[in-house]
Amino acid sequence: MTKLKALFALLALLAGHACAAPAPKHNLFVVATINNNFVVGSKMVTLSGLFQRGPGDTYGHFGLNFPYIVSLAVDPREASVLYAASINGVLCSTDGGKTWRIGTSWDMTEPKDVFVDPHAPDHIYLALPDGIAVSRDRGATWPRREKGLPERGRYTQTIKVDRTRTGRVLAGCESGIYLTEDGAESWRRVFPTKTTVTDVRQSPHDAQLWLATTQNNGALVSRDGGLTWKKFDGVPSAEALYNVAFDTTNALRYAIGSWTYGVLTTEDGGRTWIDRNLGLPEEHCIFRVGIDPDTGRIYAAVYRDAVFTSDDFGRTWRKAGLEGSLVYNFIFVPQAAQ
Amino acid sequence: MKASAFFLSALTLLSAGALRAQPSFAGPVPSTAVVQSADQRRTEYLARVDEVQAWSAARVTPPGELITDMGLIASKLARHEDAELCSRSVIELMKEPGSGPFWMFPVVNIAFLGRDHLSLAAQKSIRDAWRTGMQIRGDTENHWAMYYTSLYLMAELYPNEPADSWYTGKSSSQNLAEARDYLVHWMDLATTVGQGEFNPTHYIGEYAIPMLFLSTWAKDDAMRARGHLKLDWLFADLAENTLNGVLHGANARTDDTSVIERWNALASFFSWICFGNTPPPANYGGWGIYFATVAKSYTVPEVIYRIATDRDGDFLQRDLKRTRRRWRNSDVLMAPIYKTSYTRRDYAVGSYQGGMADPIQTHVWDVTWAVADPRGVHNTMFSLHPMSSGYDMQTYFTELPDQMIKGVTKEGKASYDSPDKFLGGSRFEQVFQDLDTIIALYDIPPGTRFPHINGFLSKDLVNLTVDPSGWIFAQGGRAYLAYRPLAGFELQSSARIKSSWTGERADTGDKRLYSPHLKNGTIVQAASASEFKDFAAFQAAIRALPLEYALEPVPTVKFTTLRGKAVVCTYGAAPIVDSQVLDYTKWKLFEGPYLNAEKGSRKLTITHGRLERVLDFNTLTITDRVKPE
Repeated sequence: MTKLKALFALLALLAGHACAAPAPKHNLFVVATINNNFVVGSKMVTLSGLFQRGPGDTYGHFGLNFPYIVSLAVDPREASVLYAASINGVLCSTDGGKTWRIGTSWDMTEPKDVFVDPHAPDHIYLALPDGIAVSRDRGATWPRREKGLPERGRYTQTIKVDRTRTGRVLAGCESGIYLTEDGAESWRRVFPTKTTVTDVRQSPHDAQLWLATTQNNGALVSRDGGLTWKKFDGVPSAEALYNVAFDTTNALRYAIGSWTYGVLTTEDGGRTWIDRNLGLPEEHCIFRVGIDPDTGRIYAAVYRDAVFTSDDFGRTWRKAGLEGSLVYNFIFVPQAAQ
Repeated sequence: MKASAFFLSALTLLSAGALRAQPSFAGPVPSTAVVQSADQRRTEYLARVDEVQAWSAARVTPPGELITDMGLIASKLARHEDAELCSRSVIELMKEPGSGPFWMFPVVNIAFLGRDHLSLAAQKSIRDAWRTGMQIRGDTENHWAMYYTSLYLMAELYPNEPADSWYTGKSSSQNLAEARDYLVHWMDLATTVGQGEFNPTHYIGEYAIPMLFLSTWAKDDAMRARGHLKLDWLFADLAENTLNGVLHGANARTDDTSVIERWNALASFFSWICFGNTPPPANYGGWGIYFATVAKSYTVPEVIYRIATDRDGDFLQRDLKRTRRRWRNSDVLMAPIYKTSYTRRDYAVGSYQGGMADPIQTHVWDVTWAVADPRGVHNTMFSLHPMSSGYDMQTYFTELPDQMIKGVTKEGKASYDSPDKFLGGSRFEQVFQDLDTIIALYDIPPGTRFPHINGFLSKDLVNLTVDPSGWIFAQGGRAYLAYRPLAGFELQSSARIKSSWTGERADTGDKRLYSPHLKNGTIVQAASASEFKDFAAFQAAIRALPLEYALEPVPTVKFTTLRGKAVVCTYGAAPIVDSQVLDYTKWKLFEGPYLNAEKGSRKLTITHGRLERVLDFNTLTITDRVKPE
């Protein structure tokens, strides 16, 4: 109850803040753990799980204090309906995180990503270490939908629904990028990889443009809706790239986060890339990047250090909260859904 | 309180303290003589159980303070002591529910022991905690055994309750069904293709305790029977793999301490309490307290007791196990593990083949020798490639590639990224065992982190000699040992990891055989001192054994063992013994003089002499018989 009050207070503050500055059109949810080396069974002395951006560099924790949530999806019709990918399976809430139900059973563990089909919000896609499950009843049941996935190599790190077409979904797996155009009734591989595809993203400007990051195949671009993929020349590929983000305010700007390479950005649609690590900690192991769709601000999560932000697309940085955190995801949710 | 009453109470407390027996972990080494009488065995077993309960329950809480140790509460409840204090303490503890299976099973322990003793308010506080505190299921086999056993029992204890009264958001019947389905699935796996976390030095408690709870408290007859069968199965597997109560040989998971001081493990608690043939670890290993609170409901079967204590000769046991789940980088979800254990009076040799069972804490092979008092003794010899690899972590964990090495060293596995560690396995190691001969070959790709081999040479070896022949000779207890490095090496002092959490080190006097060569190998041949006139005769016999080896293009060894077997081992190929290619696919789930089971059978036959017990998970029955002479 206390946490809910804090959330409401935070929202009220946000509302107040909105009077003084241009109203943000999106809320930022951060999925993070601040765990002081927590292991299963330890006493939890810090807050982990879901945070919502507040005024300044503050983040309000809400929902469970749970260190193993890695992704979050929000029903676009009803912001109180949440789906969280966690070590326990998918967690479902219909009251904004006040209470949760473990939606899956023992046979699904450690999903890595969860995504709601924006045009069929009862349909939720779940990326699993051993495949893909889809709920078509708002999380009540989660049958596996894996036809076309290989027996091995189906480890799925990321799953995203094409915003322009219901049931058209791209999944990043160990063995490549897979596409379904029939709501996961069947999948086909559109790009093979030898190691895990860590992220796939659709451009907010051009629905045909998709980007992907991989562990050892570099950064990939598709200009035909994910049917064919090409590697970006200017992005290193020896070590893993963790995720990619589009800048909604500028169609030519993308950012990539990498443990080894830090933050890589392009401002010309991927023709040239530059590392933007000056101003970040010397050991700039980036776990996640995000770009605020309202302002173009980059959020970069440095592993167990803090979130850093840049308002000039990586040229300068400042420490901006969530110290000691491991950020799994930055999720910008349109306020229309709130 | 009147002064006289206070004085009397103080005197009583003092007397109790004075009369309190020395705990067995600080006492003399138990006798290894076989107890022939069933009544006496039971009496001694119950005495050990009482000892743990009494020791635990007598741990002092400062006057006026509540108890914060759930093991202490459980022990007091088991002994029907201080119910009022326990109740108040439980209420306080439940205000902040814990975070997973290591919290759940102690609470289940208290909930069941406290049914007739805790106040209603305390019982309600437990029930409320299972509504409000989202429990982390974890990601290991032992986590899930504890988690689902706990959930199962609590759902039975509180049946017919709605979804919103449980942290899972599922009703009692849904929780019960999910827990039952998993437990049956897990038992099916373990009894058909083998346990994943096999022969763990510590995690045995995380299986034995839940199974004892199930066998004691499950209302459902079938689940209660499953608990009993699995508990017997675990203890039979333990008995088979002990040498005077000390778990030896390969472990799916162990730790920096147990891997070199083989006795110092929770497994020794279970040997002590079940078989009485070795001292328990300090404080009964901690988790042993929970087992003891319920242990009177269990009787160690005589046939298992005798396997542990009453052996009339050397024996060879071959078992089938499986790896931890491989999420990536593998053609199979769980690869088979082929485990060999050869046990003699003076020593035992154990190993497994088939790939890493676990990426961090596995122990692939060793020779362990018998000692009169195992406490503080590093009675083992082995080598390993100290693998530290994000790739391998990703095979078994659902994580991004880079942070795991950094993270795991801060999560109770401090040695993982240490080049001098003695804990762990490597996919660049292949091991062959025939009786008391081990051949371990290494082919480490260039660029691999930690491109060297660590051999463990104990402080407790005597007559350690680097022989011009290339062999290293030593004596451990009544065992003669010959260790043959196949590449150049140097002997270095070794500071072992003292704390798995802090990484603190301590100089132990042990030596590390450091061999910085990518293509490498170790041959170990053991023998009993009684087989030879003297140590020199053993050395001469070893020098005389035919041995050819090459390291290029891949390590290969042709060796005739002390037992006369002509062995050819080549990295990447199946071993050849006496011209026969070894076919691991024909291995059974258990095969040996004591334990036998067909792969896929769900049925284990435990034999000792004329005694036989059959654990049949198909029918959920235990069948005992005394075979005709």
